[in-house]
Amino acid sequence: MTSKVAFRVLQSLGLLLCLIFSLAAPSFAQQTDPKPLIDALSKADFGEAEKLIGQLAATGDARLVPALNAFSEGDLYFRKSDNLVFIGKAAGSNYELTDPVTGASAGQTAKNAVTKIKINNSLRRVIRSAMGGLTLLSPDRGVRLQAADAVLRSPSAENLELLETAISKETDGEVKARMVEARAVSLLSSDRSIDEKRTAIQTIKNYGGRNAIGILMGASAGLDPSLKGDVDAAIASIESGQRLWDIGQNVWYGVSLGSVLLLAAIGLAITFGVMGIINMAHGEMVMLGAYSTFVVQQLIRDHAPGLFDWSLAIALPVAFLVTGAVGLVVERGVIRFLYGRPLETLLATWGVSLILQQTIRSIFGPTNQEVGNPSWMSGSFPVGGMTITWNRMWIIAFSLSIFVALLVVMKKSSFGLNMRAVTQNRRMASSMGIKTPWVDAFTFALGSGIAGIAGVALSQIDNVSPNLGQSYIIDSFMVVVFGGVGNLWGTLVGALSLGVLNKFLEPSVGAVLGKILVLVLIILFIQKRPRGLFALKGRAVEA
Amino acid sequence: MISGFVFRALEGRIVAAVGILLGIGILVPALNLLTPPDSAIHIPTYAMALFGKYLCYALLALALDLVWGYCGILSLGHGAFFALGGYAMGMYLMRQIGPRGVYGNPILPDFMVFLNYKELPWFWHGFDWFIFAMAMVIVVPGLLAFIFGWFAFRSRVNGVYLSIITQAMTYALLLAFFRNDMGFGGNNGLTDFKDILGFSVQADGTRAVLFFMSALMLSLCLILASAIVRSKFGKVLVGVRDAESRVRFLGFRVENIKLFTFVVSAMMAGIAGALFVPQVGIINPGEFAPANSIEVVVWTAVGGRGTLIGPIIGAILVNGGKSFFTGAFPEIWLFALGGLFIAVTLFLPKGIVGTIQHGLKARHALKAAADAEKGRGDATTVAQAQAAE
Amino acid sequence: MNMISETRQKSLLYLENVSVSFDGFKALNSLSFVVEPGELRAIIGPNGAGKTTMMDIITGKTRPDTGTVLFEDTIDLTKRDEADIAQLGIGRKFQKPTVFESHTVWDNLELALNRSRGVFATLFYTLSAEDKARIEEILETIRMTHRKNEYAANLSHGQKQWLEIGMLLAQEPKLLLVDEPVAGMTDAETAETAVLLKEIAKTRSVVVVEHDMGFIRELGVKVTCLAEGSVLAEGSIDFVSNDPKVIENYLGR
Ligand SMILES: Nc1ncnc2c1ncn2[C@@H]1O[C@H](COP(=O)(O)OP(=O)(O)O)[C@@H](O)[C@H]1O
Ligand SMILES: [Mg+2]
Repeated sequence: MTSKVAFRVLQSLGLLLCLIFSLAAPSFAQQTDPKPLIDALSKADFGEAEKLIGQLAATGDARLVPALNAFSEGDLYFRKSDNLVFIGKAAGSNYELTDPVTGASAGQTAKNAVTKIKINNSLRRVIRSAMGGLTLLSPDRGVRLQAADAVLRSPSAENLELLETAISKETDGEVKARMVEARAVSLLSSDRSIDEKRTAIQTIKNYGGRNAIGILMGASAGLDPSLKGDVDAAIASIESGQRLWDIGQNVWYGVSLGSVLLLAAIGLAITFGVMGIINMAHGEMVMLGAYSTFVVQQLIRDHAPGLFDWSLAIALPVAFLVTGAVGLVVERGVIRFLYGRPLETLLATWGVSLILQQTIRSIFGPTNQEVGNPSWMSGSFPVGGMTITWNRMWIIAFSLSIFVALLVVMKKSSFGLNMRAVTQNRRMASSMGIKTPWVDAFTFALGSGIAGIAGVALSQIDNVSPNLGQSYIIDSFMVVVFGGVGNLWGTLVGALSLGVLNKFLEPSVGAVLGKILVLVLIILFIQKRPRGLFALKGRAVEA
Repeated sequence: MISGFVFRALEGRIVAAVGILLGIGILVPALNLLTPPDSAIHIPTYAMALFGKYLCYALLALALDLVWGYCGILSLGHGAFFALGGYAMGMYLMRQIGPRGVYGNPILPDFMVFLNYKELPWFWHGFDWFIFAMAMVIVVPGLLAFIFGWFAFRSRVNGVYLSIITQAMTYALLLAFFRNDMGFGGNNGLTDFKDILGFSVQADGTRAVLFFMSALMLSLCLILASAIVRSKFGKVLVGVRDAESRVRFLGFRVENIKLFTFVVSAMMAGIAGALFVPQVGIINPGEFAPANSIEVVVWTAVGGRGTLIGPIIGAILVNGGKSFFTGAFPEIWLFALGGLFIAVTLFLPKGIVGTIQHGLKARHALKAAADAEKGRGDATTVAQAQAAE
Repeated sequence: MNMISETRQKSLLYLENVSVSFDGFKALNSLSFVVEPGELRAIIGPNGAGKTTMMDIITGKTRPDTGTVLFEDTIDLTKRDEADIAQLGIGRKFQKPTVFESHTVWDNLELALNRSRGVFATLFYTLSAEDKARIEEILETIRMTHRKNEYAANLSHGQKQWLEIGMLLAQEPKLLLVDEPVAGMTDAETAETAVLLKEIAKTRSVVVVEHDMGFIRELGVKVTCLAEGSVLAEGSIDFVSNDPKVIENYLGR
């Protein structure tokens, strides 16, 4: 009851506001019917079309958004018989026509009865900013924010007045800030006074960030020469502030890459580091984890779409069990016959990896599978001059928690105790009644299961294809070897430092060369310290 | 001294293998060139090219066997040496195109014109000269092997660690050669070759000669490998494989032994790559892919590592199987290859030839035991005599 | 001071204050130990006393943390690697017999022969009549002439020990380090080994590590007892086995 009442009140308030605006803003005063403007597009060349779009934007009529959108997508047609404009969607050999303003259906028509209205990229730009203007007044906060962003990306003086009205009406702090920034940017290309522009430059400077530099540089050409000093000072000031943030951002990227490496390598730290098994199928375990996620999401989409945001949480145990089980089978079926023959293990597990890859390829096909991001994984937020995306944020948190969990299992659980006993002194462990074969099998399964869990996380940032694992296997081995075999902390430090190193090399030498350099550095490093950063000394490791 | 070295190599089995290889090297081209296409015994050119490719792979496997089978170094990066040899040959062939490229530039290969190179990069100079290019075919892989091995063996990087860093080496090269600004044609590699020493690479006659050369080089390398393996050095090599520290404590410099073998092996791989390229008509960074190098390991394992004939047989069998499967049941090939990896390591660790040889060795042991039985009498007397002293 | 320099002049092997630790565990603790030219010396001590570690240090396998290790009074062994030290004339038999199993007995000896060990020298090596005679002589000494064409893999444990000793002879070392040579041998084999070692010690210095007291007694030489990484007692077997510290640390257990 109450909500309904509240809604009514809001609605009338909105109407009232609109009325006030239409009085206050001159462009709103002529509440023209947009239909003739749209129909005029049928005969307009690109130049005229641009003007028409400007006029459409000036109507402030939010109903025009779909039409503009369709125009930009190339879905706007005019009927040859009467030159009326419609939004058209292909329906078999016909077009399904809808009214561009009201959205009412206008029936179907043969394809050759209509002509597409031509569009080019400069028009698309104009359309984008026009739509930005139209949606700035939307009652939906998200839409307004997007609109402000759109204006920011392609500022135009035409939006200026609209922006100003929108700002005066805006109550949400973040949206308002974005609009103020967009206004300042738009103002630079307008014919406003030099003083106003000077303040705008200050405003932009205060927002800072990489974009601001780009905006100022772009705008400076068209600006009055007397403003040049202001622009340069602003750019310099942003840059000096930005430098620190850049380093921070690089560290962040590095840590984020490092956490991906950690995820990929941590299962290997167990199978290779603790058990000494060269598991070349490790990457495929990661891949199986990613496909488990895919299958879980498919099932959720089909049967319980409401649970989609939970899909990753559901996929975690599934992936762990699936890959753990595969690991168990591989250990019992192949690896256990090869203990003490590491090079043979390497070959046999490579064979396993080929079989797993081909199995997945036969079932799901060779192409990438679409794995969705739940809403809480998408988007980003700014921290000072850096941008932090949610998915990276979660992946870092996730890999660290897996690391901690594993550490606890190894140190505290009785299974961890048995595991360490077996790896340190197999004979004594078995004479104390530990069933060493099963400890081996379950340790391997644990390592594989963790690789599967890593696959769940990696499915969020990488292409899920049968080759997924291949791209991680070499990096994972590098991390484990670099960090020091048999030492989980070494793996952590190894992963993070390789990640950061990679990201710091990238800007100066490029991504590929950076990666090559890191590989070469590791190769050299292994020569110096064949047992890695945190090497265990002693006979046990030499044997 | 040298003659003894070579003479030792020519043990019965090796002579037979060389005979067969050279026989094939002459017979196949002859059947290709001299018989009419509709004849029952005619060998079509594509089949000759395919088999020529197998011979190159066999040489690559032989090279790997020398380091893995005899010295215990499992290199997962031998594909890199093969590819480098191939690139050296490819560069020669590119320079031979001359002004016949799409862009008609007499100096710059097409891809350089396309990428706006103004002049030939310094490392391309000299490759228009056949002798120089052929020298590079062995020098470049040899040099890489030398530098890599010099560091690795000196610091005693061993076993799986060595395998992993050899894999990293070929992976780094893969990434490097994919870059356009490396000056090796990036992604597309080197291709569209026209002629070699003035003869068209497409001509049946040229292909026949290339086929023969593959068989000949394989034979020569087999003899060389056999000479190495049967020398005292070869015995030390096996010693390094089985009991490295014993060799060290006998006063041998294990790092030099490994380095020499690794370099010789890399050079053989380079030769294999150089013969491969004109026969398949292309070399691209894909040859550096770590998976390729691992596949070589399985050829060697199937045939029998630590036997010289084994890897040759293994390479031909597995690749024959691959050609058959990928043609007939492409889906199954990876299953078959994966299964082969597992089956060989579990059930046939000595490979085909190794298992046969093992049987022969067992017979030898029986005979030796019988001899010993005969000699036992005088041995005890010696012992008694010495104890009495 | 004076005393030390005098001992140093005569010694073949000289260790002073050698310490080494692994991850904080002191395997050798200020060990001092001297071997004279032509001496046959026995070393006893409980498991983990550091006997094998001492050999590792002498042969360059392990670097000491502190201490002096000199060969023939002048050569600093801590600066050399295994191959160097072997070429200087120190041979070593491992605790676990280590021979080349996929070679014949003959080939094992041929490899060990003290000839130029460079890559090219071995590539072009051909067996000379002199080398052949030498190998045959060693075969006689280790009583394996009748098994010369056998693969080493097919030898019994005791025979492998002997073959390894033969390989050391072929190396013609000035000093022979022998780690537990009679472990796993029958009594008869043990007795024969004692004879063999005494025979060998006529022409060179030998250091034998052994647990078997009977065997040590049979050798009848000076004995050094190690415990916890340093020397506990040194002297004749009767003297050492009556030392209360030795009884408490080793024999009593
Ligand atoms: N490389 C090494 N790493 C770690 N510990 C070692 C190493 N070498 C020896 N030790 C330790 O030093 C001690 C002495 O060992 P060792 O010399 O083999 O004794 P012994 O031969 O007298 O039985 C043992 O406790 C052993 O565990
Ligand atoms: Mg010992």
